[in-house]
This record gives sequence, C-alpha cells and structure tokens, in this order.
Amino acid sequence: MLYLLRPHFSNLQILIRHVTTILDINKLSKKFGAIQAVDQLSLSVEQGSIYGILGPNGSGKTTTLGMVLDVIRPSSGSFKWFGQPISHQTKRRIGALLETPNFYPYLTGRKNLEIIAAIKGAAPSQINPVLDLVGLGQRQHTPFKGFSLGMKQRLALAATLLHDPEVLVFDEPTNGLDPEGIAEVRELIRRVAAGGKTILLASHLLDEVEKVCTHVAVLQQGQLRAQGRVDAILSAKDQIIISTQDMPRALAVLQQLPFVASFQPERDTIRLTLQEDYQSSDVNKAMFEAGIVLSQLVVRRKSLEAQFLEIIKAQS
Amino acid sequence: MNLLRIERYKLLPYRTVWIILAIYAGLLLLLLYAGSQITINGQTLEQELYQLPELWQRLTYLASFFNLLFGILIIVLVTDEYSFRTLRQQVIDGLSRAELVLAKFYVILGLAALGTLILLVVGLYFGLLHGKSHSASAIFGQIDALPYFFVQAAGYMTLAMLFAFLIKRSGLSIIAFIAYAKIVEPLLHFRLPDHMDQYMPMKVLGSLSPMPGQDLLDQLTTPTLQLSPQQAVLPAIGYIGVFCLLSYYTLKFKDL
Repeated sequence: MLYLLRPHFSNLQILIRHVTTILDINKLSKKFGAIQAVDQLSLSVEQGSIYGILGPNGSGKTTTLGMVLDVIRPSSGSFKWFGQPISHQTKRRIGALLETPNFYPYLTGRKNLEIIAAIKGAAPSQINPVLDLVGLGQRQHTPFKGFSLGMKQRLALAATLLHDPEVLVFDEPTNGLDPEGIAEVRELIRRVAAGGKTILLASHLLDEVEKVCTHVAVLQQGQLRAQGRVDAILSAKDQIIISTQDMPRALAVLQQLPFVASFQPERDTIRLTLQEDYQSSDVNKAMFEAGIVLSQLVVRRKSLEAQFLEIIKAQS
Repeated sequence: MNLLRIERYKLLPYRTVWIILAIYAGLLLLLLYAGSQITINGQTLEQELYQLPELWQRLTYLASFFNLLFGILIIVLVTDEYSFRTLRQQVIDGLSRAELVLAKFYVILGLAALGTLILLVVGLYFGLLHGKSHSASAIFGQIDALPYFFVQAAGYMTLAMLFAFLIKRSGLSIIAFIAYAKIVEPLLHFRLPDHMDQYMPMKVLGSLSPMPGQDLLDQLTTPTLQLSPQQAVLPAIGYIGVFCLLSYYTLKFKDL
C-alpha cells in the first residue's frame, strides 16, 4: 500500500519487504462493570497507512485507543507497538491526542509544550516550529485557559508533533469545533500525512474517514464489524442516473447492453449500475450510437454512510 | 532529575503554591509573635521563648501543626493533575505510573526542605536577635530538631498524596486527610494501649516534634508512652515508603 502513497516507487517487490506493522492488536477486551466496551478486538496498522477507526458514539473507539496508549488497563488481550510491548521508548515514537486537549490552564501555551518536550526528550528548539505549524506562534504566551476551543485543539495537535513521532493517534480531532476549525484541523492532518507518517484516527464522522483515511475498521458495540482498505470496504458499485426525452427506447437499449448490471426506471429518470471496469462514458457512448440523446448523466457514489449502515445491519 | 525539572515547570508559575507557602510562613510568625506576648507571673514569655538551643524544639513543635497545610498543598497538586487530565496525558506522552508517583515524591521532598529552611531562617533570626546566648553550642546544640521536622513534614505530605491518588477529588481528599490525621487515628489511640498506638503513623510522625516540657508534664501526670524522635525516625521513613508504594499500586490498577 505504500506504493499508493509514494507513486515514484515502482518496484513493489522491494516495498513489500519494507512494510512493517506499526500497531498489532490481539483480542483486546475491556469490561467496565457489566458493560463490554471492547470485545475481542484484533487489528493491525501498517506503516504509512492512515487508519480510521469508525463507529458511532459509545462503540469503543476511545476505550481502544486508551488501552493501546497505556491509560486504560485491558481486561484481556494484548497489543504491540513496533513489535514491542509499550514502554517509554515506544511512547516517544507516538504522538497522541485522546479525547480532549489536556493542559495546565494557568500555564501559557508555550510553557505547556515545554513540559511535554521535557517528557518526550524533545529539544526546546522544536517548540517554535510546531507552534508555527498550527498557527499559534503569535498566541504562545497566552495562558491555556484563555484559548478558544479551536486553539486548544491546535495546541494539542502541536503537542503531538513534538519529537517528530512516526505515528500519530487522533481521537475525534474535530469534535466540538466550528466549521472553520474543522477545516483547519483536517488540513493540518492532511499536511502531516503528506509527510509519510502513519496515522490512527478515531471518528464517528463518516465523511471524515472517507476523505482522510486509506484504511478503516468499523466498530459497533465494541466489536469489529469490518476492516480493510477504504476503497475495498466501499466496494459498492456507483450508481448512474440518466434521463432522456425518449424513456421507452432508452429502457429497450439498456436491456441489450451487456455491461449494465441492473437498472430501475423512475418517474423521469433511470437508475443503473454497471459491471466492473465500465464507466458512465460507456453508457453515454452506447446511447449515442443508438440515436438517443441523454439530457442528464449523473454518477452518484454510494456514500460511506449507506455502506456503513449496511455493514452494521448485515452483522447484527 | 528530569522529573524534578518537569515538576518545577508546573509549580513555579502556580499561584496556589505561593499562597499556601505564604500562609505557612505568616501563621508561623504570627504564632511566634503572639507567644512572646503571653505574660506569666508578670513576666512576658519573650525572653524565655526565644532562647537557643531550646528554640529549635519549640519552633518545630509549633510548625508541626501547619504540616496539614503542606498536606493540603500536595492534595491540591495531585488532584489538579486528575481534573486537568494531565496525569493521563503524561502517561500517554511517556511517563510510567511509577514516575508519576516519584515526581510527586520529589515535590514532597522539595517542599519539606523549603519548610525546614523557613524554620532555620526564622529560628536564627529570633534566636540571634532576641536570645541571650549566641555561642555555636547554643545555635547547633539541638538543631537536630530540624531534620526530624523534615522527615515529619515529608511523612504528612506522603500520606496526603496517597489520599489524593486514591480519592482523585480535592475537597473529599482534604476532608479524608484531616479526618484521619485529627479524628480517626486519635480516636484509635484512646482505644488501643500505648505500647501499640505509639507505632501508628500519626503518632510516630508526631513523636518527631515532641511537645516542649513534655517530660515536666509526665512527672505531674501519668506519663504517656511515646517514642523519642530518634526512635521515631526509622518507623516514619518506613511509613513514607509504604505510602509511596500504596500510591503506586493505586495508580497501577486504575484507569487514568
């Protein structure tokens, strides 16, 4: 999968040997009293992927991340970072933001980052670049309690970038932000991902995962419902909607076309799906050859939302 | 030492720390001043109170009452980390649970040293200014009261730390700490025979700064059995170790 992110590498053979597992989760479970928050969860995150953990609120995303980040004790199961159990050494290679930005309210943004730099063993000279990256260079001497929610979130992102980690873990990074803040945070994540880092992102927002991630695991009630490449999970065929003045003839032509998988006439449009490897242009061409002029031709991707609901319905 | 540096970043700009330290120093001075104004048999206590070397024992005995303040300060510092969720963030960023406890223990040692230093300065000031004898033997004769006070302060604060790690909320922790130190254990002392309760934590810590003139009092009434400061040091250090360990196990088996 690395070759997708780095198209200039052409020799897949070599690359496959270089693909390493960053995080390996093996039958991880967590019970809070009677509630099974995470149930026998196994998944592995490979280097260079942007891995989305998708699920509704309360599906166990934060609990899972809390366990692999060493703050929640698993009831059973195990996990490994870079093939090792979690330790100070592995933590220094991970930048993580779990739930809310956690800082000392009475300290300035900069002082807060100095504490985290000291814990991670990052040089103080790294603080200015990350503050500039998140656009807080001007406000670094404001106490954290005076920050807006968006600024707090950006400071938390800056903190995760200290010590230049190989892996970034974000839990609902755009939660509670206004549209401008959401756009800013997503743009930041994209910029960081472009640098080739592995990213683990939990979200209940389908389009966030669809837009940002290469891989996805779908969680519901603590159980893994589906896992794989975003485009594989989203294998549902695109729908094409056409309309024309001459509906009866169009339907007759569609019946003849071998690459049309199915079609369904509606009031003044026809919805159809195609076989693999065929595009809307093939439909247009066939219609034109049959002397039918289309007044409308729309490709509608089946949304992740619809796909998500299907996955959940199919399994439960 | 990195842990100490991290704690220093947090503490120095924190106003609550300075306010509590100022209250400690202020109350100590007020008590010393008020004590000197007491008149017995037409004679003010001033002359008697400030005499070195006995001043050291009086000073540490007075200061021992304010160890509760240091305990409260530690509770505030630990429970803050829960409410800011910075305890969790520091574990995510790389510290182990043992290091979390160790970092706070360093703070305890630092505050105990600061408290002892304040006593040293106050003692030297009043002793040399108002006392009669300024010889080295007068100054250093009973200065061992100060190291005992250091252990005592550290002991109170480690117990406070344990309550804070256990309970997580500042208000409840402070109530539990004061209730245990001032009500629960003293009640147990009544119930238990002296030869047993002298080894209980509050009594051991209290023995490190005995009441001046206790021996005189013992001659008048039935003597209460109590360890001498020398005897109390080892059990006190033992309790400090136990409280630290219990704090660690509290964190180890909890989700943050």
